Amino acid sequence: MPPAPTTTAESSRAGDFARVLSRRIHEVGPLIGLVLLGIAGTYLNPDFATVDNILNVLTRTAFIGIIAIGMTFVIISGGIDLSVGSMAALIAGSMILLMNAIAESIASPVLVVVIGIVFALVLGALFGLAHGLLITKGRIEPFIVTLGTLGIFRAYLTYFANGGAITLDNEVSDVYSPVYYSSLLGVPIPIWVFLVTALVGGLVLNRTKYGRYVQAIGSNEQVARYAAVEVDRIKIATYVILGICVGVATVLYVPRLGSASPTTGLLWELEAIASVIVGGTALKGGEGRIAGTVIGAILLSVISNILNLTSIISVYLNAAVQGVVIIIVAFMQRSRR
Amino acid sequence: MKSAFRKLALGALVLTSLAALPAMAQSNVVLGVAIPAATHGFTGGIVFWANQAKKDLEKAHPGMKVIVKTAANAAEQANQLQDLLAVSKINTLVVFPFESAALTKPVAEVHNKGVYVTVVDRGLTDTSAQDAYVSGDNTAFGKIPAEYLAKAMNGKGNLVALRGIATTLDNERWDAFTGVMKNYPDIKILDAKYANWNRDDAFKVMQDYLTRFKEIDAVWAADDDMAVGVLKAIDQSKRKDIKIVFGGAGAKGMIKTLMDGKDPRIQANVSYSPKFMYDAIKLTGEARAKGEKLPATYIIPSVLITRENAKQFYFPDSPF
Amino acid sequence: MSLAVEFRSVVKRFGPVEVLHGVSFRIEPGRVVGLLGENGAGKSTLVKILSGYEQATGGDFTINSTPHSFASSREAEHEGVVLIHQEFNLAEHLTIAENIFLGHERVKGWLLDDEAMNAAAREAMQQVGLTVSPATRVRDLIVAEKQLVEIAKALSRNARLLVMDEPTATLTPSETERLFALIGQLKARGVTIVYISHKLDEVERITDELVIMRDGSFVTAVPTRGTSRQQMANLMVGRDVSDMYPVKDPVPNAAPLLKVSGFSVPGWAEDVSFDVRPGEILGFAGLVGAGRTELFEGLLGLRPRRAGRVEIDGHEAVLDTPRDGVRHGIAYLSEDRKGKGLHVTLGLRENLTLVALDRYAHPLLDPAAERRALRDKVAEFGIRTGDLENRAASLSGGNQQKLALAKFLHVDPKIIVLDEPTRGVDVGAKRDIYFLVQRLAREGRAVIVISSELVELIGLCHRVVVMRAGRVQGTLAGDRLTEEELIAHATGTHDHR
Repeated sequence: MPPAPTTTAESSRAGDFARVLSRRIHEVGPLIGLVLLGIAGTYLNPDFATVDNILNVLTRTAFIGIIAIGMTFVIISGGIDLSVGSMAALIAGSMILLMNAIAESIASPVLVVVIGIVFALVLGALFGLAHGLLITKGRIEPFIVTLGTLGIFRAYLTYFANGGAITLDNEVSDVYSPVYYSSLLGVPIPIWVFLVTALVGGLVLNRTKYGRYVQAIGSNEQVARYAAVEVDRIKIATYVILGICVGVATVLYVPRLGSASPTTGLLWELEAIASVIVGGTALKGGEGRIAGTVIGAILLSVISNILNLTSIISVYLNAAVQGVVIIIVAFMQRSRR
Repeated sequence: MKSAFRKLALGALVLTSLAALPAMAQSNVVLGVAIPAATHGFTGGIVFWANQAKKDLEKAHPGMKVIVKTAANAAEQANQLQDLLAVSKINTLVVFPFESAALTKPVAEVHNKGVYVTVVDRGLTDTSAQDAYVSGDNTAFGKIPAEYLAKAMNGKGNLVALRGIATTLDNERWDAFTGVMKNYPDIKILDAKYANWNRDDAFKVMQDYLTRFKEIDAVWAADDDMAVGVLKAIDQSKRKDIKIVFGGAGAKGMIKTLMDGKDPRIQANVSYSPKFMYDAIKLTGEARAKGEKLPATYIIPSVLITRENAKQFYFPDSPF
Repeated sequence: MSLAVEFRSVVKRFGPVEVLHGVSFRIEPGRVVGLLGENGAGKSTLVKILSGYEQATGGDFTINSTPHSFASSREAEHEGVVLIHQEFNLAEHLTIAENIFLGHERVKGWLLDDEAMNAAAREAMQQVGLTVSPATRVRDLIVAEKQLVEIAKALSRNARLLVMDEPTATLTPSETERLFALIGQLKARGVTIVYISHKLDEVERITDELVIMRDGSFVTAVPTRGTSRQQMANLMVGRDVSDMYPVKDPVPNAAPLLKVSGFSVPGWAEDVSFDVRPGEILGFAGLVGAGRTELFEGLLGLRPRRAGRVEIDGHEAVLDTPRDGVRHGIAYLSEDRKGKGLHVTLGLRENLTLVALDRYAHPLLDPAAERRALRDKVAEFGIRTGDLENRAASLSGGNQQKLALAKFLHVDPKIIVLDEPTRGVDVGAKRDIYFLVQRLAREGRAVIVISSELVELIGLCHRVVVMRAGRVQGTLAGDRLTEEELIAHATGTHDHR
C-alpha cells in the first residue's frame, strides 16, 4: 500500500528546499573562496581584474585544469594517479622527437603537427591503459603503480633529453605555436579546450551510465561488483580518460615553449590532485564534481598570480600563502561527509 | 683579480696537457664522483661532463676506476658517499654537494678515512674536510650581467629580475648583482621573484610582470632556461618596450641565438659552464695518478660572452 | 550482588523526533528478561541509555534503588552494566586479547603485561567456548567467533547486568546452544540478563519474563511461561499476525528453469547439484560456513569456481561475471546488505536503478524517469522514507532490505536468489518479504531462499536443500520438512538411508 498522503509530500518539499540550500552552501565553498581572492587581488593591484590578466591566468590553468578533470574520474572511482606530471613531460618529449624526426620526410608542417597531436593522445591513452591493467588485473595499489611510473616516465624523458632540453624545430614550431597563442572570439584556444573538456567531463560524470558506475565503484566497490557493474573495465577506463586528458594538456603545452626538459610538469600531479580535492571531491572516492575541480584549479593559479602581482609578502613565504588558502577552502566544506 | 684567474687557468692547462701523455704505469686510483641527478638543464650538463671525464680518464689511465653516482637529494647523496667508501673502496672523491651544510659532515667522514677530496661548486661549511675546491664564479655570475645591463641601459630605466631556487648560490649571485646596481640609482629594480630555474615558472612570472609593469626596459633572467620562458612571455604580450634580456650560464641554444644574432634582445651572456665538472674530475684524477696535489682553491672564471667570442663557448654535443 | 533496574518515565529525543515516550518498567535482579519489539520500537535506544552510550532526554533509571545516569559506557561498566552490541565493536586489526582489554589494559610498570592479559583472555574465552589463541587477530575470525569475543569481553569486565542485543543473529545452532548454557551459568551466579532477539523460539526457551515495547512505549510485562510465540508476536505488532506465512501454492509441473550439476567452488562447495522449477520456492539450509553463500557467489562468477554445468531454461549458460547473470535473468541478493547489497552513501535513486541502468541511458541518463521509478517502487515495496533524495544510510534495516530487493528485482529476473532476506528485519517487515517471495513465485519465477532460520524455510519453501561442509546432504520436502530433519542433515547426524 502506498504511504503517500499529500500532507507529508508538501512538508517534505519544504524540507527538501532547506536541505538543498544547506548542501549548496558546501558546494559553493570553493567558489566563495575564489570570489574573495578575486576581490583581494583587485584591491591589491587593479591590474588583476583586467581582461588580459584573467585570460592569462585561465590559459595557464588550462593544463592543470584539463588533467584535474581526468583526475576527478580516477579519484571518484577510489583511485589516484601520481604520474601525470612525469607522463606529460614524457609525452611532450616523445612528441617533439617524433615531430622533429618526421619533419624531414613530410613536406607539410601542418601534417607533421597533426601526426604529433594524434601521437600524443594515443600515447596518453596507452599509458593510462597500462596503469589500469596493472591496477585491476595486476592487483597492485594505484598509489604504488603510479609512483613507479612517475619515476619511470621522468627517467625516460631525462634519458631522451640527455638531461637537457628537447626542442622543437623552428619550422614546425611556427606552425604549431598558434595552438597555444592564438584566440577564437578573443578567447585563447587553451581556454576553449579547457571549457569543452570540463563540459564533456561533467556530462559524462553526471549523465551517463559510465559516470554513475564510477561513483558506485568509488562509493563501495564490492556493492558495485554484486550489482553486476564491470568494475575492472570501468576502472581501466578512468585511467585511460586521465591519460587522454594528459595528452590533451601536453598538446597545448608543447607549443608554449616548444620544448620539454626534465623540469617539465614537475609537481603537476600534486597541483591536479589539490585542485580536485579543493573542488570538493572526496579523496576516498565516491563523490565529486567537475565544476568544483575547475574552480579548484583556477583558485590555485589565482593565488600565485596575485603573489606575482604584488610585493607585500616576502617571496620566501609564497608557498605558505598557497597552503593557508587551500586549508581555508577545505575548511569551508568540511562538514559535508 | 683577472690576472690571478688567468694564471690558474694556465696552470690547469699545463696539468691537462701533461696528462695527455700516455700513462707510464697501471694506476690504482679509484675515483668516486658524487653529483646531483639531471633534473634540469644545468645539472644535466653536470652529469654529461662527469661521464665525459670518466670516459677520457679511464682511457688515458688503464686501471683507473671512475664511479659516477647521481643523487636526487642531500640524504641520498650522503648514503652514496658511505657506499662509495665502504663498497667501492674509493681513495679519491670528487663531490658536487647537494647542499653545503648538510653534506659537510658526511664528506668530512670520508676525508677522515684518508680519501683525497675535491669539492665542486658549493663549498662546505667546514673547509678542513676538503683537499681542493673547484668552483664556478658566482660573484662574477651576478656582477657581469649587472655591469653589462647598466651600460646597455645607460644607467637608467626599469629592470625586473628572476631568481632561481632559494640557496646560498642564488643569494651570492643576487648580492653581487644588486651590489653593482647600487652605483646606478636611476636603474629601478621593480621586483625579483623566484622561478626555480624552470622555463614554465619563468613564463608565468614574466607574464605577471608584464601585467603589472607597463614600462620595462630590461630583464635579468639569471639563467638561460628561465630566459627561454621570459622571451616567450614577452613575444605573447607583443610588448616592444623590453630591449634586453640577459640569461646566464651559456646554454647551447642561447649561445647559438647569440652567435647567429637572431634575437636583438639577446646581446650577451655570462659563462658558468657545467664543464667545470669535467675539469674538476680530470684535474683531480690526473694529479692523483701522479701523486700530486691540486691548488687548494681553483675558481673557474665566469666571463662575459658576446657575439664576438661566443664560438668558444658553443658545445653542440653537450645537452646543455 | 545482583542488580535490579527501574526505568522511570525515560524520554529520548533525537532532534525534533521523540523515539522514547516516557518508558517505565522494572527488571528484577538475577533474572533473564526478554525485551521484545519490532524494529524501531526503541529497544536498542533504551539499552544504550542504560549502558551509557546515550543519555536520556527526560526521566531516569535506578540501579538497586539509587538513581544513575552514565555519561559514558566506561562509567556504566564500572557499575557492572555491559552492553554487547548488535553490530560489533571490535578493532579488527588487534588481537582477541587486545580487544578484550581495550581501554582496561593491564600493565607491569610502564609496559603492557601481555602475558597476564593473554592468560585472562584465554580464561574468558574458555567460558564462551572459543578455542582459538588469544593472540589471533580479530579480522581473521568468522562472524560467529567475533560474537563470542564480544561476550568474552563483557565477562572479563565482571558484568553484573549484561545486555545482549541480537546475540545469536550470526551463530550456528551449536554455538547458540553453548551461549544458552553460558547464560544459565551467569544466571546462577546472579547476573541479571536483558536479552533482545527477534527469534521468538529462543526467547521462549531462555527468558524468565518478557517486556514488550511498541513505537517507543512500554506495552506490557508478562512471565514467559504461559505465553505462546503467537501471543508474543501479536503483542509486538499490536495486531493478529497468525498468517505470518502465505499458503503454499502447488508447484506447476514444468521443466526446471535452473539446473546446476556437479558444481564446485574451491574451498567452499564440492560437487553440488540441484534444480528449481518456475513457480517454485527452493530453500537452502545449513550451518554457518556450510558454503551456501559461497556456492551462489561462485555460480554468479563472484568467486573462482572449478567444475560444473549450469543450464538455464534447458540451455547451457556460461556465467563468468555478474553481468552474465543479469543477461541470463538471474539476480542474487547478498546476505551482507551494507557490504555488498547497497551503496549506503549514495541516494535511493542511484541504488534502485544501478543494476538496470541500461534502461535509463539513451545514451544520457534520464533522472526524471529514475525519480518516477523510485516513487513507484517506494509505494510498491512499502519503503518508509522521509525524503526521496535521502541517502540509503538514512533508512532503517528493514527498509534498506526492501530497497535492496527492489534494486535487484528491477531487472525483472526469472531466477531470484535471496540470501538471508530477513536477517535483522522485524516481524512486520518479515511478513511483507514472505508475501513478496510468494508473489514472485506466482508470477512464474524460480525463487531460491538461503536462510539460517529453519522456521522460515519450513513456512515458505516447497523443498529445502541442506548443505554441510560444502556438500549437499539431502533435499527435504513434504512431511520430511521439519526442524528435526533439517538440523540432523545440517549437523550430519541423520541416518544415511
